[in-house]
Amino acid sequence: MRPRTLYGRYARTAYLFLLPAILFFAAFFYLPIGNVVATSFRTGPMADQWTGLGNYTQAVTDPAVQHSFLVTAGFSVMVVLGSIVLGLALALAIDQPLKGRVVFRVVLLVPYLTSVAIVGLLWRNILDPELGVLNRALMAVGLPTQQWLNTAPLLTIAAVTLWQSVGYTMVLFLAGLQGIPETYHEAARIDGADAWHRFWRISLPLLAPTTLFVSVMAVISGLQAFGQAYIITGGGPGDATDLSVFHIFNVAFRTRDFGYSSAQSVLLLIVIVAFTLIQLRAGRRSEVTY
Amino acid sequence: MSAHPSRRDLLRLVGAAAAVPVLSSCAGAPATQSAAPGTFTVYWNAGHDYQAYRKVIAEFEQANQVKVNLQKYQWPDLRTRLLADFASGTVPDLVEEPGGWVQEFAVSGNARSLQDFVDRDGQAMGFPADWQPVTVERNSYQDKVYGVQLHLTCNTLVYNKGMLREAGLEAPTTWEEFLDAARKLTRDGVYGVALNQDYTYMWPWMVQAGVTPYDLETKAIMEPRADAVAALQFQADLVHKHKVAPVPVAGTDYSGPQKLFSAKRAAMILTGPWDLDPIRKTSPDIDLGVAPPLKNKTAATQAAGVSMFVPAKATRPELSWDFIKRITALQVEQAATKETGMLMPRKSWVDLPEVQSDAVTKVFADALPTARDSSQEVRLTGQLGKWEEQLKVMYQQVLIQNEPAAEALDTFVKAAEGFLK
Repeated sequence: MRPRTLYGRYARTAYLFLLPAILFFAAFFYLPIGNVVATSFRTGPMADQWTGLGNYTQAVTDPAVQHSFLVTAGFSVMVVLGSIVLGLALALAIDQPLKGRVVFRVVLLVPYLTSVAIVGLLWRNILDPELGVLNRALMAVGLPTQQWLNTAPLLTIAAVTLWQSVGYTMVLFLAGLQGIPETYHEAARIDGADAWHRFWRISLPLLAPTTLFVSVMAVISGLQAFGQAYIITGGGPGDATDLSVFHIFNVAFRTRDFGYSSAQSVLLLIVIVAFTLIQLRAGRRSEVTY
Repeated sequence: MSAHPSRRDLLRLVGAAAAVPVLSSCAGAPATQSAAPGTFTVYWNAGHDYQAYRKVIAEFEQANQVKVNLQKYQWPDLRTRLLADFASGTVPDLVEEPGGWVQEFAVSGNARSLQDFVDRDGQAMGFPADWQPVTVERNSYQDKVYGVQLHLTCNTLVYNKGMLREAGLEAPTTWEEFLDAARKLTRDGVYGVALNQDYTYMWPWMVQAGVTPYDLETKAIMEPRADAVAALQFQADLVHKHKVAPVPVAGTDYSGPQKLFSAKRAAMILTGPWDLDPIRKTSPDIDLGVAPPLKNKTAATQAAGVSMFVPAKATRPELSWDFIKRITALQVEQAATKETGMLMPRKSWVDLPEVQSDAVTKVFADALPTARDSSQEVRLTGQLGKWEEQLKVMYQQVLIQNEPAAEALDTFVKAAEGFLK
């Protein structure tokens, strides 16, 4: 039988099936992207005056933009490291022959399935220094109360983000752990390797692709975080949690500078893609096979 | 998803995941539905859906044979939606705004002048003669009216009468008395006062200290500077030095002090009539007291309240104006006050029996003549958004993070000088 190529009747049928998806993507993905890129070269309240690269040169020298990027970088580092360490720890814990393993898995995954708005409001109430549950619990056991959102706001919203997303990374690591052939561990046991050595020498290296995937996704979601700042802290106190996307949003919808905010969006995209490529390149070198 | 994706798979995923939210954050909101012939679209604040207004809407629908599509939002979301509408060119017929947007959008050409309607119908409806002057000023640009005030509110002292009685105190009238009362009231897990994280709550203190936020002619910002610093530092000291107020929590809403007051964890708060209803509903046992604005150099407060305007591209301004006329009638103000305790902008509203016989409403009403608009001159520069962003940062740095007021204010003024040029 001849192989079917992308020509002729079969191809036409295939493209016909693809057409709805292509149209959908064109309308809701490529068109807005094109619009944002075009807007980034304009200025004024209605983005109707040509400015060329003016928005870009302004953005790279703007202290507020630099500050928001530093805040976002700090937030991302916490989220990435937390996702990997906590996700892996939970996966290792769940990967044991425990009773009620499925229940643990579901409980840990539920926050991930909850909207960031609900999670934000929930934690805002929990963390309230005067009326929140957390400080009341601390008082009940005789511990000093904490100003969670005032003394360590970035760490706090990173912790909330982790609480929400760690179930997902746990599931990914769990899949990775269960994909490692048991024979490797058996061979290591025969050679006298203890649990720590088996984890360090077998599990961890073989989890490299999963770790890479988790870290790439965590970096992307960290750099794109918005809801946490918008709902929990409003970017405050001061500008302590002024995450990049929140900053971009404010430039667009508070100060009505759509051209400038579009330029910042494009720059952020470039940063995200660059980080991702660096991670992928680094990850390629860490892959092992046995 | 496989736990072992290839690099190519990863790149595909990454490309898609990275691009969509970042770029779509500025791509604009979905377009408003076109103004259908039989539909009249109004953007309204979610907290102002009163029965009194529902009745007006029903009458308006009947009279004009249209269906009112009342879309309710919180202010930040309303602004986001509205700006997206301006960009797309499809706008609602009428917009309620929180104060300040009318002039901002008049300057940018997004609001329609209502002067022709005012010239024609103003006398019959009592506009502007029956409106408090501050409400006409704040809704005008280049001597033309662009918006009509719907509510006029102000910020004053709300206190727990029982707690003050127990401490043997009268309601304070000056800053010194206020601090003294707050000290005496702070005990057993109760704070004397709760301050707001929202920067707009600093204005009553500023106007009482005689500070002018911005002078269009001289370009002076926050002068007299020493008084502005003192007013800011006084607020921060309540929290950090005297410890008579909890550290406010940065956030997006302004209900923190009201919640503490309702929970009987704060004896005094500085707020407006918008917080009275939640207090009465959540803590009906609190004997609520309202006192006139505090006095420092002067007894004054900040004018607040909402207005309505018609977008420049609205296709049926006549209908929009008819809606404005109906909803600002004196009997509607009366019904809304009866229903919610809201304060209104008509001068004749002050003389209504509902106002004069209600001890709480009367205090607010009596304070209205001393209410000042805190951002009018900034609005006229078209830079209100930047001004507010910088103010928020500065205020929280002082009030929450305990940065010295002089330094924070100096940084703010330098930034403001840059964009107000």
